[in-house]
Amino acid sequence: MTQAQAEDTRVDWEAALVQRACTGDTRAFERLYREHAGRVYGLCLRMTRDAHLAEDCTQETFINAWRALPRFETRSSLSTWLHRIAVNVSLAKRRKASPVAPSPDDEEGTGGACGWTLETPVEVQEIEAAIGALPDGARDALILHALYGYSHVEAAQMLGVAEGTCKAQLHRARRLLRERLHVEVG
Amino acid sequence: MSGTGSADERRVGSLRELSPAVEPPRDLWPQIEARINAERRSAPAAQPRPARARPLPPRWLAAAAVVASVAVGVWIGRSLLPAARPGVQSPISAARATLAGAPTALDVAYVSDRRYQRDRAALMKSLQARLAALPQPARAKVMASLAAMQRAKQDLESALGKDPGNALLQELLVNTYQDEMRVLTDVQASDAGRGI
Repeated sequence: MTQAQAEDTRVDWEAALVQRACTGDTRAFERLYREHAGRVYGLCLRMTRDAHLAEDCTQETFINAWRALPRFETRSSLSTWLHRIAVNVSLAKRRKASPVAPSPDDEEGTGGACGWTLETPVEVQEIEAAIGALPDGARDALILHALYGYSHVEAAQMLGVAEGTCKAQLHRARRLLRERLHVEVG
Repeated sequence: MSGTGSADERRVGSLRELSPAVEPPRDLWPQIEARINAERRSAPAAQPRPARARPLPPRWLAAAAVVASVAVGVWIGRSLLPAARPGVQSPISAARATLAGAPTALDVAYVSDRRYQRDRAALMKSLQARLAALPQPARAKVMASLAAMQRAKQDLESALGKDPGNALLQELLVNTYQDEMRVLTDVQASDAGRGI
């Protein structure tokens, strides 16, 4: 089976599972959970920086998805839809956990699109720690754009900010990572 | 950040090399399922479930039972017996045949049951007359449901052709056959102004 065929199968399989879950089939929904839980949890964990909060967010994401599943349009990507829910849930939980207004510094910079290549390879653990130490806004934009591959527009929509703000946050994230990792992030 | 996985000493040259997925430290599904079930019990109308099915007349219950028994037989046969039995069409070739318009092994297993064949034929025969007697909104709903199930069967058969060993796909296909029978029996039972 070629990779393209495998992808087609996965999509067909997912559409069938969504269809079954919409009729109340929790087994089908569990299969969807198993397929997407890792990426959803990874997103929640990086956004909240708290394993317990990330677990709560992941559960909330899938429960909200279950409720809203009949409104999901199968033409769009289920993973993107789940990630949108996960971002909303994580932002809400984070605000509730520490209701601090974003600092004016969050609006700085006008950086545009950039690559995320490191001049010198760095250990995964070290990068994750550096990402975890970023301010919330910069970290959110970085996670969605550089790790999950969403465009500036998509990331901005998910985060509920202007596209320019998202680009500025990415610029800031790049600068802070460069300072913390002592390598060029180009 | 706490818990993005165990200490990973792998070196990466790009942020895109980081895996977006992080496995949760424990299985979160049991709690999700418990909450879903709790919500279902407290507010069934809010759940993504189809409209409540009315009790079926005994004759159609019997027809549904035949479908269920055939489905179980097919299910067991497909689950326990290897696909490459001599003289039996493989799932891949069966799916290819479906795409070309010929019946699949599963289709053959269904239609080879005389009772199922007879009951389904009777239902299909009276379908148009029953549909004509329905109010327009109900008729549109039934036709849309049947069309959706037809598409689902085709999609599932196609997916099974690519992934013949997928037990869930097999189960979904059997369920779709049963769903179709359920709709047909509901239409049949919609006389005497009971509606769908």
